[in-house]
Amino acid sequence: MKNRNLVNLNMNPCKMCMPMGSALAFKGISSSMFMLHGSQGCSTYIRRHMAGHFNEPVDIASSSLNEEGTVYGGESNLKKGLRNLIKLYRPEVIGVGTTCLAETIGEDINRIINEFSREEDCGAACIIPISTPGYGGTQFEGYYSAILSIVKAAATEAIPNDRVNVIAPNVSPGDIRNLKAILEDFGIDYILLPDISETLDAPYSTEYRRIPSGGSKLEDLRKMAGARATIEFGLTVPDSLSPGTYLKERFGIPLFKCPIPLGLEYTDIFMKVLSELSGRLVPGKYISERGRLIDGMIDSHKHNAEGRAVIYGEPEQVLAISKLCCESGVKPVLVSTGSNSDQILPLINAMGYFNDFDEKLLVLKDTDFETIQKLAVQQKANILIGNSDGKFITEKEGIPLVRTGFPIHDRMGGQRLVHSGYGGSLKLLDDITNTLIENKYEKYRENTFQRYYSPKKHEDKTNIHPCFSSLASKNARMHIPVAPTCNISCNYCNRKYDCQNESRPGVTSAVLSPEEAAAKFAYAKDKVANLTVVGIAGPGDALANFPQTRKSIELIKQIDTNITFCLSTNGLMLPRFADEIIEIGVSHVTVTINSVDPEIGARIYKEVNYAGKKHTGAKAAEILIKNQLEGLSYLASRGVLCKVNIVMIKGVNDSHIEEVVKKVKACGAFMTNIMPLIPAEGSAFQNIPLTSSRELNEMRKKCEADIKQMYHCRQCRADAIGTLDDDRSAGLWKGICKGFSGSESRNQKVCHKLTRGEVHIEIQNIYADGCNVGNNARV
Amino acid sequence: MKHEIIKKKIDKVLEKYPAAVFKNRKEHVLVNDCSIPEPQTITANTRTIPGIITNRGCCYAGCKGVVLGPLRDAVIITHGPIGCGYYTWGTRRNKGKKKSDEKNFLNYCFSTDLQEGDIVFGGEKKLRQAVTEAVQIFQPKTIFICSTCPVGLIGDDINAVAAWAQNEYGIKVISFSCEGYKGVSQSGGHHIANNGLIRHIIGTGDAAVGKYAINILGEYNIGGDGWELERILKKIGYEIVSMMTGNGTVEELSNAHKAALNVVQCHRSINYIGEMMKTKYGQDWIKVNFIGVKSTIKSLRDIARYFDDPDLTARTEAVIAEELEDITPQLEHFRKICSGKTAALFVGGSRAHHYQHLLRDLGVETILAGYEFAHRDDYEGREVIPSIKEDGDSKNIESIEVQPDPENFRLVLSRERYEKLKDEIPLNYYGGMIKEMPDGSIVVDDLNHYETEEFLKILKPDIFCSGIKDKYIAHKAGIFSKQLHSYDYSGPYAGFKGAVVFARDIAMGLTTPSWKLAVPPWKTQPVLEGRVATC
Repeated sequence: MKNRNLVNLNMNPCKMCMPMGSALAFKGISSSMFMLHGSQGCSTYIRRHMAGHFNEPVDIASSSLNEEGTVYGGESNLKKGLRNLIKLYRPEVIGVGTTCLAETIGEDINRIINEFSREEDCGAACIIPISTPGYGGTQFEGYYSAILSIVKAAATEAIPNDRVNVIAPNVSPGDIRNLKAILEDFGIDYILLPDISETLDAPYSTEYRRIPSGGSKLEDLRKMAGARATIEFGLTVPDSLSPGTYLKERFGIPLFKCPIPLGLEYTDIFMKVLSELSGRLVPGKYISERGRLIDGMIDSHKHNAEGRAVIYGEPEQVLAISKLCCESGVKPVLVSTGSNSDQILPLINAMGYFNDFDEKLLVLKDTDFETIQKLAVQQKANILIGNSDGKFITEKEGIPLVRTGFPIHDRMGGQRLVHSGYGGSLKLLDDITNTLIENKYEKYRENTFQRYYSPKKHEDKTNIHPCFSSLASKNARMHIPVAPTCNISCNYCNRKYDCQNESRPGVTSAVLSPEEAAAKFAYAKDKVANLTVVGIAGPGDALANFPQTRKSIELIKQIDTNITFCLSTNGLMLPRFADEIIEIGVSHVTVTINSVDPEIGARIYKEVNYAGKKHTGAKAAEILIKNQLEGLSYLASRGVLCKVNIVMIKGVNDSHIEEVVKKVKACGAFMTNIMPLIPAEGSAFQNIPLTSSRELNEMRKKCEADIKQMYHCRQCRADAIGTLDDDRSAGLWKGICKGFSGSESRNQKVCHKLTRGEVHIEIQNIYADGCNVGNNARV
Repeated sequence: MKHEIIKKKIDKVLEKYPAAVFKNRKEHVLVNDCSIPEPQTITANTRTIPGIITNRGCCYAGCKGVVLGPLRDAVIITHGPIGCGYYTWGTRRNKGKKKSDEKNFLNYCFSTDLQEGDIVFGGEKKLRQAVTEAVQIFQPKTIFICSTCPVGLIGDDINAVAAWAQNEYGIKVISFSCEGYKGVSQSGGHHIANNGLIRHIIGTGDAAVGKYAINILGEYNIGGDGWELERILKKIGYEIVSMMTGNGTVEELSNAHKAALNVVQCHRSINYIGEMMKTKYGQDWIKVNFIGVKSTIKSLRDIARYFDDPDLTARTEAVIAEELEDITPQLEHFRKICSGKTAALFVGGSRAHHYQHLLRDLGVETILAGYEFAHRDDYEGREVIPSIKEDGDSKNIESIEVQPDPENFRLVLSRERYEKLKDEIPLNYYGGMIKEMPDGSIVVDDLNHYETEEFLKILKPDIFCSGIKDKYIAHKAGIFSKQLHSYDYSGPYAGFKGAVVFARDIAMGLTTPSWKLAVPPWKTQPVLEGRVATC
């Protein structure tokens, strides 16, 4: 499984840069200021995003490097910046983070800061350098890099004390307040790093403080080196970035690594650790809260069970939210993070719950929203859980979003969300459940009605497709030859020739990949007026190549949402794919049904390849006919407009045609298209006499009493483009694709033999109409 | 006397700075004194002082974020690490709506997401492949490549990649070397974007245009402003060949040289194009301001005078009358609420000026105004341009010379008419902000976080118009703040209907009962001498 659809282009990123994470961490240090060494845009952008989420003033300074600084080094700018910052703000701690620019020009900020601290009056300020190149990771890595740097710089007093270090995850100030309350309820004397509970969610007060109060105090941080234990909420934090691991290795402080306490089991883990560290039992109020969480999960299970969640964000959050979802029956169908985390996949897999689900869970790292969006649709997700950036998917695909994490800039209160602990988990679960309910009931009646009771709306659809109505003759259609193989073999079929002059079903000049087909569609769209219909008409059978067919339709839908899709098929695979055909938006389907009698069918079909077995004779025809009629009935009942093509073969099925027509009418066909056999050279039927147009029209007239007839069929190629009367495929394909080397004009009477390799992409179908080719099978 | 008192107050604020900073910042602040006959000067467009919390952005922000970003039919690939692309993803609220079968890329963010290895070994190959991927997925007609800080340093030749892609895929691929460290603010990025558009896009189309064909320059359709202007101008009978660049397309821009007149809304970000088109195609530009009712009326009349057609003039007056009739009662209601209040404005390179007109319509006086990234001409008028000394930073931004285009150069006005008209309307001229400000008002260039706080304390305005970064300082100080960058998810504010929306938003902001619960002490008590919050 690829993490990203595109390798080199990150489209709609699911991550921010390292300096963002370090800024978030430094905002949790008491009386601190943060400065980025680089272009001022970095600070400005990060301030803008943080202010939007926290609704607080966010002061982040910049050394405002310019062209001169990049050439001669930024030392003087950095020192000037520090001087001004100290003078105006008098901070106790200053974090200096690097940026892409500073790292690329190789700034030695450690040296510069050492020098500055030695030479200048810094007041009381302790200056902490930290390396955060924007290309070095995401905000997740930046956050832990910053904390690790702070710990390394500050934790110096190794005299044992009775305090417990708590390395906070990147959660909301509301959650931090909640974690603190829990710690306090256990009577634990903690040192929390970082503590953004007040600094990034300051209460209104009549005195405005330039540096907000609150945050981890430097004198406390010094004591981290002598604490009796460290709790780190960071199962996904690699050891190289883990402050807890550093404290353990450097000072021998026992490390308790926990996940974020979100969900039942993860909160249990936290409670257990606290109980152990404090020697106290879990306070009664948490036992009640725990009970309420379970009670709530049970109460909402019937809604949750319908949930198919896409979870995205930073690895640690994603892990915990997945846990909550699994516990409560919301099925995570895609778990994804923009961070290139090696930890997330094994942790998710180790959760175990997924064995109970009947489908494979997708876990992606280093991904982007382009990929998430596609997979969300493919996985039939009905809820997104993550930050505000998922709103683009909501807008495009209509999948609702439950907001959690950072940033939430399009709703109020992101900074106050509490999704931790038993109570917070239940709050998040309720949000998820209620979103599922709202989404379901918003369209519940309509969907039910549409699905089971809505009358078919054929009229709307007929007039847009040139093959379903002569009224639509001005609309152009394009056949994309993406389906090379076939699963049946018809006696009238011969695909040995590809001649540019020949226009008949199954003829194509090359087979395309879905991507190529989409590219061609985009090209043709600009050249052909009224191009409103895209059909898949072989050269084999659309359903024998269903992945290609589906992919092509999906790609073209992205280019133009208003296109009408049709496909033609021999119907063998219809029962299997009918639901998917409807789902991907195919509104017109043509099935070629030459017979409803297995005995007659046995004379038309040489071979039917079904479920891994080759069938011949009446048995083969029986299987085919059964599937054709079953599929036709189902499609018609779901409102798909179905046309049935019948190849009129003299002496074989000509006297049986009226019966076919009656049968397919009963199955819900909208119209039939009776076409003459073209006795293709080399086919089994090459010597069968031609059907005259008089005979043909007489037959059509006769059947018209039963069902609408098509009189305007042009029996076109599998790569036709244009209106029925003006096939422009020769010139257009040439302009589009190297694979199409056909001559400029079909008037030149040149046929050439293809090599064996090419034979398979050739032409077989002799009989079809504008949107149909699959009636003729190939071997 | 009044001025001296204000100046002293300002000095009190600035005194907190180290000596060198004090000296520097003093040049960026002035008190408007209408009694002095000679024009006052201000320092602008110079380097930001490190370490004071500036609100300025970078060159990339000006180029990709401001000027190129609103073009909806171009795929803009940010070549660099992920942050820069991410931070400009849909953040400026420039609205776009595609017509029928066009493509609209405004909702997308494309980045090459450079990693450490790319910085070491070069990102050119990755960029090539990224362009290829973009072509395969979207088949865009145009791709822009915008570079970020490290790209300029590791020496990726984005021009070569653009040339290769253009040749390979037969589409327009244009590179913009807008590394963040260039210039002193966003302004450099505007210039770089302007250069690229005039070099590669404007003048490449050949659509036929009608009689009253105009371009609107420097309108970015924030909150739908451009749509309101389009509505009014079309109602009068103008044909808008292109909007630069709000809701604009490369396709439309390619025909911009066919228009008869360039109408310039934001002078700072687009005046380069206005000037270059004048040289290259002979088109005049006229400075307008569609923010404010009276100023919209004046702008419409000025444009009509340029064309000097009795029918057009009559139609202009008819539309003005009709629109006024429509909005006046609503506006009057809000005016009663707003009247008598004071405002401080700190926005961009034009809006701090434009919005003074709309506020004046509502009876609100502007007591402080400043720009983030303007040049001296935006404060003092274009007449000072010859006296602005070029420094190293501005020389680093390429200034291109254009020649008259032999095929498309044409003058609309006769020499006599031009001479006459230029005294009547702002033809190829912008008079700047200061001249239109009230006596005793303060002008501050590149206002920073600290000064914002202090000036709010001293001036006690009722309304602070700025952006999201300083919005919450005002809120903490109990002052209503209105974002004039993103309009707080509201808008449009331009033209006639926009004025009502703005008036409603201001009235709503001023009257929320919550303010009664948040009154800072300095709002009711005199400020103590030298009292600055220390931590």
